[in-house]
Amino acid sequence: MRLIPSYRPRASALHTARAGVAAAFCAALALIPMLFDNPLLLAGTLAAILLAGAAAGVRSEMAAAARLAMPLAILVMVVNPLVSQEGDTLLVRGWVILGHHFDVTLEALAYGILGGFRVIVLIMAFALYSACIDPDEMLRALRRVSHRSALTATLATRLVPVLARDARRRSDAARCRPDPPGRAAVAKAALTGALDRALDAAAALEVRGYARATHLSEARRPWSRQDMAVACATAGIVALAVLTLFMGAGSVVAYPRFQMAMGLPEIMLAAAIPAVALLPFAGRSGSLGVARA
Amino acid sequence: MPDPVLQAQGFGYTYPGRPVPALADLSLAIEPGTFTLLAGESGSGKSTLLRAAAGLVPHFHGGVASGELNVGGLDVRDNGPSELSAVCGSLFQDPESQVVMGGVRAEISLGLEQAGQSPAAVARAVEEASLALGVAPLLDRRTDSLSGGELQRIALAAAIVGRPRLLLLDEPTAQLDPVAGDELIWLLRRLNEEWGTSVLLAEHRLERCLGAADRVVALEAGRVVCDGTPHEFLAWADAGGRESFVTPVGRMFSLAGLAPLPTSVKEARTQLQAAGLDQGGPAQPAAPPAHSRSRSRAKPALELKKVWCEIQDGPTVLRGIDLVLEPGERVVLMGRNGVGKSTLLRHAKGLDKPTRGKVLSEGWIALLMQNPGDYLVHDEAGQEVPPAGLAAAGLAGHELDNPRDLSGGERQRLALEVVLGGGSPTAVLLDEPTRGMDALRKRALAERLNGLAAAGAAVLVATHDTAFAADFADRVVLLGSGTVIADGSPSAVLAGGWYFATEVARVLDGAEGALTPEQGAALIQRRITAAGAVT
Repeated sequence: MRLIPSYRPRASALHTARAGVAAAFCAALALIPMLFDNPLLLAGTLAAILLAGAAAGVRSEMAAAARLAMPLAILVMVVNPLVSQEGDTLLVRGWVILGHHFDVTLEALAYGILGGFRVIVLIMAFALYSACIDPDEMLRALRRVSHRSALTATLATRLVPVLARDARRRSDAARCRPDPPGRAAVAKAALTGALDRALDAAAALEVRGYARATHLSEARRPWSRQDMAVACATAGIVALAVLTLFMGAGSVVAYPRFQMAMGLPEIMLAAAIPAVALLPFAGRSGSLGVARA
Repeated sequence: MPDPVLQAQGFGYTYPGRPVPALADLSLAIEPGTFTLLAGESGSGKSTLLRAAAGLVPHFHGGVASGELNVGGLDVRDNGPSELSAVCGSLFQDPESQVVMGGVRAEISLGLEQAGQSPAAVARAVEEASLALGVAPLLDRRTDSLSGGELQRIALAAAIVGRPRLLLLDEPTAQLDPVAGDELIWLLRRLNEEWGTSVLLAEHRLERCLGAADRVVALEAGRVVCDGTPHEFLAWADAGGRESFVTPVGRMFSLAGLAPLPTSVKEARTQLQAAGLDQGGPAQPAAPPAHSRSRSRAKPALELKKVWCEIQDGPTVLRGIDLVLEPGERVVLMGRNGVGKSTLLRHAKGLDKPTRGKVLSEGWIALLMQNPGDYLVHDEAGQEVPPAGLAAAGLAGHELDNPRDLSGGERQRLALEVVLGGGSPTAVLLDEPTRGMDALRKRALAERLNGLAAAGAAVLVATHDTAFAADFADRVVLLGSGTVIADGSPSAVLAGGWYFATEVARVLDGAEGALTPEQGAALIQRRITAAGAVT
């Protein structure tokens, strides 16, 4: 199973909206964990991402991404109390290394948990982007800024699974040898193979006119209902984030004593985020009749 | 007379660091709208000529070029691949390495977008190219979800979308199964006929392409040694004893003393009908024998007992396979793509464990999978195998060569010795070993495998190559939907089939189980004698 979701065309509002708008929607959801560490706001955003993923039909992709997010989040949760020595509530008196005390405080532990939660929400927002936004359409949008960098990024994205398959084949081939070579030798051969692939890809790009590439002229595309719905939801999420900042809501003070705002404003905002995020998926959708000869 | 779309005058090229030129004093003119087949053994200079025409030689690979080579009026020494891409499209062997984008539509439109064409022009060209090649239903698919044949068609669509005057193709069917390969050749013929695109195609499987070609150019050691129509080419190859250039049906006709040598199955049948040597219509295909083998008393080299492969959340690939290989037996495993041939070999080797059933064997099972390069991990051939292994691979004296610098055939021989490990394996398993191989290399491979079988190893080869199966095998096992659907002698399994039949069997309607050119020629001579006796 692939931990990083890959795009598959689907009929959801997020899939059919133009890539720039859909990417902005995901970025708006990622903005919340970047600006706030209040658990209510984080929970609301995570709910928004998961519900949007479910509505977009990428539930299994989101579940796979969660498997990637959890170990990273746990790592942050464990590391923070070990490296942060702030906080008044001592839980464990630790050890002394090179004259430095390593104690575990309740505040550092709580802040580590919040840090892990932020990591999960950020990764899931990226997973939603990865599963729902067509990378070729994003490339087309970015090519107006930097054609070659965008093309290189696309090529690298495409070659990663190809190289992973190459590496699996080499690993199987090593198992077929009576005297299996060491890992270093196999890794070196895999690297050489990757360079060969890169050379072939470079030749393929050359014969397709890469060197004479010009800036792309983009067709004007009318805004669809999905484009407008996703754009409105994006604006709504950003507005909620700005409102939260303006109200001074969602504050968390970790040290020296852990304090966080958990009042009505936070509850309202946490409920509003998923409600706004789900707006593009609501409402009527078109249907096709059966053509008769 | 229009100007040639490709014209070489005394063109030569030497790769960097190589003492011998890859192309030498080559003179050639390709007229617009022609379908030209480039024939030649491995290392004859076919790929180099195509790369030179695409501008990769010398601009991408370096090296030294001499003489003149013009493509669409552009001198390749002054114009690089990007400039030449405006007049010629290129398609190489491995579609995985030439597809750039994640989506099919984006892939096909990339070249035009890079050329700065308007979005409306790009959209129209993509529609037209995809309809012409029958890939319109794939336009909204992701490239990583396509089969090898589909991916190669998309790469072809990307090569032709700009309506190039010349299409350069370097063994585009080498990675494809026979059906996908045949379809690609006929698509090329259609492009040539309907769009007037000139085609320059390098291929080893000449029988697949001769019927579509207007002209054949044969290369040897970087020089043109024959340039004529397919009939002239076959006559030249036959008269000069160049067996690797003569198709199986051509060889059958030659051995039977019939002329001219036909370029296709249809032409061969027509000639036999005209000479009164046919049987007057296709014979009913005989039902292939199923599970007809009786067990010998010898201990089997390899035995699969009710082997199942049921992928979690996926298809069931093998469904209770029973297969016994006796020591010294040469068995060919056939079946359409995705039917489970490679999976069966992986289970026999022990790379995968059956979900049910057992694989029984004693001793070393050697498995050579499709990419021999995967087995070679050292910088010197001498580090891969001991001197005896190098000698067995015909590579004595190449101890210090980097395996990556060896030819495809040499790499495969070396990889085979690597998996054999210098010992005496109980069984040797090979997956599609003849893909992209010329006739000489196939023959050398068959000789090595015959030697292993004579030494007591059971040899099991998974292949689509019916001619190789007919030449090599004692027994053919046919897989269908994960089960054995036929198991018998090559003539019993391959003569009565349609897809799983040799070219000779197709011409002769499977009569008397003739599969090889020699068997076919003997049958025709008997018919000639009988006809003479009657008259």
